[in-house]
Amino acid sequence: MSVDRSRAPKPGRIRPFDFPDVDRRRLDNGADLHIARMGRLPVVSVNLFMRAGEAALDAEHAGLAVLTGDTLEGGTRRRSGTELADALERIGARLNVSTGWEGTSVSLSCLAERLDEGLALLAEAVVEPAFPEAEVERARAQQVADIRQRSMDPASIASDEAARRYFAEGVPYARPQVGMSDVVESFNRNHLVGYADATWRPETGGVVVVGDVDEDEIESTVAGHFGGWTGRPALSQDFDVTPRAVERRIWIVDRPGAVQSEIRVGHVGTSRTDPRVPALTVLNTLFGGAFTSRLNLNLREEHGFTYGVRSRFGLRGKPGPFQVGTSVGTDVTAPALEQIVIELEKLVEAGVREDEVAAARDYIAGVFPLRMETVGQVAGRLTESVIYGLPDDYHATYRERIRAVTVADAEDVAAVHIRPSEAQIVIVGDATAIRAPVEALGIADVHRVAPVGSEA
Amino acid sequence: MKRLDIPSERHRLDNGLRVVLSHDDTVPVVAVNLWYGVGSRNEQPGKTGFAHLFEHMMFQGSEHVPKNRHFELIERAGGASNATTWFDRTNYFETVPSHHLDLALWLEADRMGWMVPAMTQEKLDNQRDVVKNEKRQRYDNQPYGDWDERLQKLLWPEDHPYHHTVIGSMEDLDAASLDDVASFFETFYRPSNAVLTIAGEFTRASVLEKVDRWFGDIAQGDAIPPIPGRSEVPPLIGSTMRDRVVADVPLPRVIVAYRIPPYSSDDFAVVEVARAVLGAGRASRLYRRLVREQRVANDVVSYAFPLMSGASMLLVWATGFPGSDEAALEEALTRGVSDLADVEMSEVERAIALTETDVVRSLETVAHRADVLSMLELHFADPARINREVDRLRAVTVEQIRSFASEHFGPDNRAVLTYVPEDGS
Repeated sequence: MSVDRSRAPKPGRIRPFDFPDVDRRRLDNGADLHIARMGRLPVVSVNLFMRAGEAALDAEHAGLAVLTGDTLEGGTRRRSGTELADALERIGARLNVSTGWEGTSVSLSCLAERLDEGLALLAEAVVEPAFPEAEVERARAQQVADIRQRSMDPASIASDEAARRYFAEGVPYARPQVGMSDVVESFNRNHLVGYADATWRPETGGVVVVGDVDEDEIESTVAGHFGGWTGRPALSQDFDVTPRAVERRIWIVDRPGAVQSEIRVGHVGTSRTDPRVPALTVLNTLFGGAFTSRLNLNLREEHGFTYGVRSRFGLRGKPGPFQVGTSVGTDVTAPALEQIVIELEKLVEAGVREDEVAAARDYIAGVFPLRMETVGQVAGRLTESVIYGLPDDYHATYRERIRAVTVADAEDVAAVHIRPSEAQIVIVGDATAIRAPVEALGIADVHRVAPVGSEA
Repeated sequence: MKRLDIPSERHRLDNGLRVVLSHDDTVPVVAVNLWYGVGSRNEQPGKTGFAHLFEHMMFQGSEHVPKNRHFELIERAGGASNATTWFDRTNYFETVPSHHLDLALWLEADRMGWMVPAMTQEKLDNQRDVVKNEKRQRYDNQPYGDWDERLQKLLWPEDHPYHHTVIGSMEDLDAASLDDVASFFETFYRPSNAVLTIAGEFTRASVLEKVDRWFGDIAQGDAIPPIPGRSEVPPLIGSTMRDRVVADVPLPRVIVAYRIPPYSSDDFAVVEVARAVLGAGRASRLYRRLVREQRVANDVVSYAFPLMSGASMLLVWATGFPGSDEAALEEALTRGVSDLADVEMSEVERAIALTETDVVRSLETVAHRADVLSMLELHFADPARINREVDRLRAVTVEQIRSFASEHFGPDNRAVLTYVPEDGS
């Protein structure tokens, strides 16, 4: 049998992928309901989103949204925490809470035949939470322990220190999402009850249901379970994002004897609702968002400095960070940092090539259907629609907007959103070994700092 | 729930390559997945970590595919690609938009048939550095990062193939040469030692012809050598083995491992349900008792390793709080496990219901389906078992778990690894 192996085979005929149709309705209590049918397997994902997020809290209450969310599993007026978990798991359902900057998401996943029972329990947990004293204490101790674990994990230390260097004091994004130990330890049951009462409200939030379901049935089931639940969250995000500094500096957090250095290089980026997100996504993909991006080919495949390096725009309600992150051997910390800065400067000064932009566009558009296979993935996208108020056709037309990005578009956003001279550089590593070589690069002043949360 | 009906069709090429096909056209995506029957258990003494280093070399190009072209082409096509090395196998996988199926087959066939001519000393040195960074980042620079190495040493005798870790020793990797790469390839990367699964959307009429076109001319090769050392071990460890580590860790942690029958044993379904009773979900035994009622633990984890050679391991761990009494934490953990000897029906029902949803959900993606089908073909020659996994779990009885627990979870079958923060808090 003879076959030409010398070149890549040509693709076959493309079969179009359509994002599932979304049925969007407004419930009487003001919550949005998004329903998408998917029938590969008899499973369902539900996300309930409430605008109860960390970014709307002041520094004295940082970590309260996370703690209140985590104590949801503590039980309801009708069931203890263990009874609630048992009722859910007995029908094969999982309930998870995740709290971020914008709000609190409560997700339910179960088999389609158990959805009605699952929704009833989800509603009970959110509308009638009890926050028993013992559960508040337990969740608080766990959160403090998590903060402690982060304080000894080099990657977390680096990310927390970097956030503190990018954002001006008082900007919520400057602090860790889980808060600081001393503040979290000051929360008691009254704080949680008051916070949930004020912010766990349906208006400006939404319910997303994806899976093997019928739209009309879902609407009446959801309306039935959440019928008496009303109101609007009392807190909103009230801050401007400003950088802490616009002069490039290097901050070293010492970990004596560390075999590896965690490096973060970044500054304030842009928000999720920026209309130029497609161009930014293409730019970031070719720079540091994929295996064959410039950064990874340089630092990993050419120099062998690292197991991997990535760059990322953290897109949030207000401008989040743009950041390059990697972990490298102690002995190559300075040369690795030098290459990151060279790549950043080259991106701004020398621009991008047509073939790179085309490859990035093809990658992002092509990989989209691969990430829409599961009910959980699609529910995640629709939850973004709720959080950021995206247009109804946002996901269905996403690939068209990506395919329209040009070299000029990518260079325009690079000129605005990549600012190497303003970058704050954080290195968590063995200061004795890395300080002199990093200083010798001559790219910025070097300062030694104590890690976040250790000043007290 | 309706029975699962994920299709699976078995074929075998003349050169011994086993092929599994599983059609599903709900999304225009296809997964190509290869399991090679080689992992860290096949490594000779002095060559630990080599199976994993070799996996990295498989991305360094082959005769018709230059270095980095693999990822370039797959990413350009809008696909995803990676590989992992484990004790019993190494897997390679691509998920691509379905019209790029040929691309994935061509890439996999080229490295199965024509990898060695593309190898150079420079590539070997570069990937050795990448792997060393991987070890430092994921193991050495992480609190508790050496737990698996320590536990494997406690649980398996020195001549057992699971005594050493997948990442292996950096000294051994330093000694690896280009000749080792070529000989490892000739020994293990043969079509007769591999399973190829294609899951997702493809044209049924032409898919086998495509597979034969790309893989059919690769020479079959010899049978692979026996696994070094001695796989057979007594069913129980025989005592409580201990390792106590004072280290730079944030919180005390106790990890307890039990020797259990191998993944191929009928009893493994009993182990899976027992594991879920213990640690799956917040109504599970260990979470309920240690985290919620006694409040001695910050978190609990339970995991049953699906290992094939001789025996496997079940592990549970509990992370304490600053100042926790390590003996009390160990006592709470081991008692939580040994008390399974009086497990109740309602706990078993809960565990099975939750595991059933988890199994079904895990099969939503074609990538994971393909991986499970490759595993079932390689280890059991029975990919259709994918639809019976839930039935296997449902058939487990309370009596089976009780008797398994009395036999396996006593002090004569424990390896206890304790981490204590060095600052004493």
